[in-house]
Amino acid sequence: MLRNDIQVSANRSVLCMVVLLGLFSCTAACGVAQSAPDKQRWFEDVTHKAGINYRHHSRHFNNAYSEIMQGYTKLGAAVAVSDYDGDGFEDIFVTESCATCKNHLYHNNGDFTFTDVAKAAGVADGNDEENASAGALWFDFNNDGLPDLLLLRFGHSILYQNLGNGTFRDVTKAAGLDRYMNAIKAIAFDYDNDGFVDLFIGCYFQPTNLFHPDTARFFPESFENANNGGGVIVFHNNKNGTFTDVTQRVGIHTTGWTLDLGHGDANNDGFEDLYVANDFGTDRFYVNNGDGRFTDKTETAIGFDTKKGMNADWGDFDNDGFLDIYVTNITDDYMREGNFLWHNNGNLTFTDVAQETGTFDTGWGWGGKFFDYDNDGWLDLYVVNGWVSAGKESYVPDIFAMITKPGIDLADIRNWPPMGNKSLSGYEKKKLFHNEGGRSFKDEAARHGLDSTKDGRGIAVADFDNDGRLDLFVTNADDEPFLYRNILPTGAHWVGFSLEGTRSNRSAVGTQVRLTANGRTYLRYVNGGNGFGGQSTMRVHFGLGRSERIDGVEISWPSGAKQKISSIAVDHWYKLTEGQSTTNMHEWKPKR
Amino acid sequence: MITKIHPILFAFLVYVSGFAATARTAADEYQQALKALAANNYKEALSHFESAVVAEPDNAVYSNEYRKAIIQSKEFDRALDFFEKRVREHPDSANLHLNYGFAYVDKIPVAGAITQVILADRALTQFTKSVELRPDWIGYYTRGQSYLFWPKIFNRAPLGVADLEKAMEIQKKEPHRGYHVRLYVALGDGYWKTDQLEKAIATWRAGLQEFPDNANLKRRLAASGDDLKTLIESGFDPAKRVNTDLSDLWTN
Repeated sequence: MLRNDIQVSANRSVLCMVVLLGLFSCTAACGVAQSAPDKQRWFEDVTHKAGINYRHHSRHFNNAYSEIMQGYTKLGAAVAVSDYDGDGFEDIFVTESCATCKNHLYHNNGDFTFTDVAKAAGVADGNDEENASAGALWFDFNNDGLPDLLLLRFGHSILYQNLGNGTFRDVTKAAGLDRYMNAIKAIAFDYDNDGFVDLFIGCYFQPTNLFHPDTARFFPESFENANNGGGVIVFHNNKNGTFTDVTQRVGIHTTGWTLDLGHGDANNDGFEDLYVANDFGTDRFYVNNGDGRFTDKTETAIGFDTKKGMNADWGDFDNDGFLDIYVTNITDDYMREGNFLWHNNGNLTFTDVAQETGTFDTGWGWGGKFFDYDNDGWLDLYVVNGWVSAGKESYVPDIFAMITKPGIDLADIRNWPPMGNKSLSGYEKKKLFHNEGGRSFKDEAARHGLDSTKDGRGIAVADFDNDGRLDLFVTNADDEPFLYRNILPTGAHWVGFSLEGTRSNRSAVGTQVRLTANGRTYLRYVNGGNGFGGQSTMRVHFGLGRSERIDGVEISWPSGAKQKISSIAVDHWYKLTEGQSTTNMHEWKPKR
Repeated sequence: MITKIHPILFAFLVYVSGFAATARTAADEYQQALKALAANNYKEALSHFESAVVAEPDNAVYSNEYRKAIIQSKEFDRALDFFEKRVREHPDSANLHLNYGFAYVDKIPVAGAITQVILADRALTQFTKSVELRPDWIGYYTRGQSYLFWPKIFNRAPLGVADLEKAMEIQKKEPHRGYHVRLYVALGDGYWKTDQLEKAIATWRAGLQEFPDNANLKRRLAASGDDLKTLIESGFDPAKRVNTDLSDLWTN
């Protein structure tokens, strides 16, 4: 039994805590001393050292449209993080896309090395001639405390139930999820607060069989208002291991080219709202009515855009107590859309502040994640980008020659010029935006060695060595991924929580934590997989800067219950269970 | 009493009286349009402007003021439909093609990024027809400037420089006019965009000699490196509205 109960030991002595703290601090400090190539550089590329450097391969299609289609499985380099075996260390699932390629489940050995156990676990075989892996999501669909794995595919997605012994079982059919979808993104949150997380799946193409299409008209009908995509499918969790499609019933009506879904409680009413990032057209914003239905508030909340939405991550970047949203679009010499940084006005409307905060231009953006890499209490942003980095010739003139043809039928794939070895928004430098006090951001990617020019896709943020410094795993299309270890010098304080619901869904998705320190209150929450191509940790992390003391913590559970913690020590991870006593809390540490 | 009139003379009188009536109608419609515009009655203003242009299709003033009203009322597609019909009726009117091209340009800031390119491409087609019909200063200046807006990947900046140089040849033969300063700025920008910095500086300097108070020229000559890049590129941002008002041509 690999599962660890991760219990707070009420009997552990304060002395023991101090000793353990000392050990952790030593580990962190030693890490810095041994590995930091430059004291100004706070991330170290440990991909090869960690044994996690298998490259992604996109699919070669055996049909008449193969030259056009291959690019679209470049979308399938995805990552999802979770501690699937409960040993206290976050593990990593990574997707592949070629027909003979295996997916990877990297088990965290606890020493910043990983072992691929996908085959033994039974989750390696995600690709074949009829299906291509495109994304992944860890979520506890049966509330047994074990993260289960949803493998998203262009084709039939697979739900793997975690059996708790290091292996998984395909339960897709029994769960009622067996259907053809060109799924690329999924998030899981409890939209009706019934104690079980529900499933929201974003589909790029409509459910045309991409491997044997019976029509050539399955491409976007427009570059700015396409409504012939796969849209969003909502599955309600029936609490018995099965799901029911409730898309129409809950009021999610979109047939856009969905690339990402992000949830968060925009108005702090206790119900999770939904942002849908659509390629080739309008993003959508749905407000949760609290009665099991959503209302499309796109027009009043964000307006109708014509851009190429790729990412939707939520985070309170200015610490005003309301969650903001970061959306990537395409910004290049030939198409200056600009990203959205939607500042939450607190009244279910948002204002785009990307231009004035310096987060507007990240090239052809993909995954973008809020996280506090320097533990200063302000959420920073890491953004990856680049569509195709190939030969010197550009694909831009070809694409514009197509779109300026009078009467062109864009939906017909036969009208799209073959890309060959041409590049399109390739070799773009990634951006690490340091949050300058909630007012603006400054790109520090080069300084920290995070400015790769590979074609980045997904980002997973997690603390892989439990040292309180958030690390990064980044996938790249047709290339090796990156595992960046955070080696921030010690000094800035932090605290973190692993939450477990009882009345609320067990993985505590949607739980908001408000922490007050040094006169400022910070909001963080548990999200169920936000961000293109990457699911981050479900733990909640706070950077505290110089604050050595926490004045208070308030936890708002999806059930409506609230808990308060009056005083805890900084620089620890804590395990917190809904409804259990929060006095005399002790630090949590991994089993191994 | 019936006076006998020679048939040719009769035909001439009919033609002249018809022309006078048309001219009077166009001028009247134009005045009505201005009145309606002053009262913020866009519906009536646009209707009268259109009647004026229909009556005098090659009248640059009428078309120009019509487009200005269109920008205020945001009825860009109405203008595009209108000019499309007019150029079909009068394919030899350089001014109609020019204003049709500007009607596309006027819509660009409110369009999506891809539509912006389509609109710019269509504008260029109309500017080319205009300059082919009447190769004058405004024709070359407009098309040359239009080429400079295209992203580098399309390599249209050299075509823009060529047009702007032709406009400069024409300009040098003309008496001094206030709007000439625009060409010094644009041609210098074109040289900068084609990596000819020395020529760019020389052009801006020549412009400053003729227009010593011009702030655009001064700013360019005071900047260098990335600052100059930012300054020039900010002028080619498709999200910003380009000033397509031609009234300088007859008032400056």
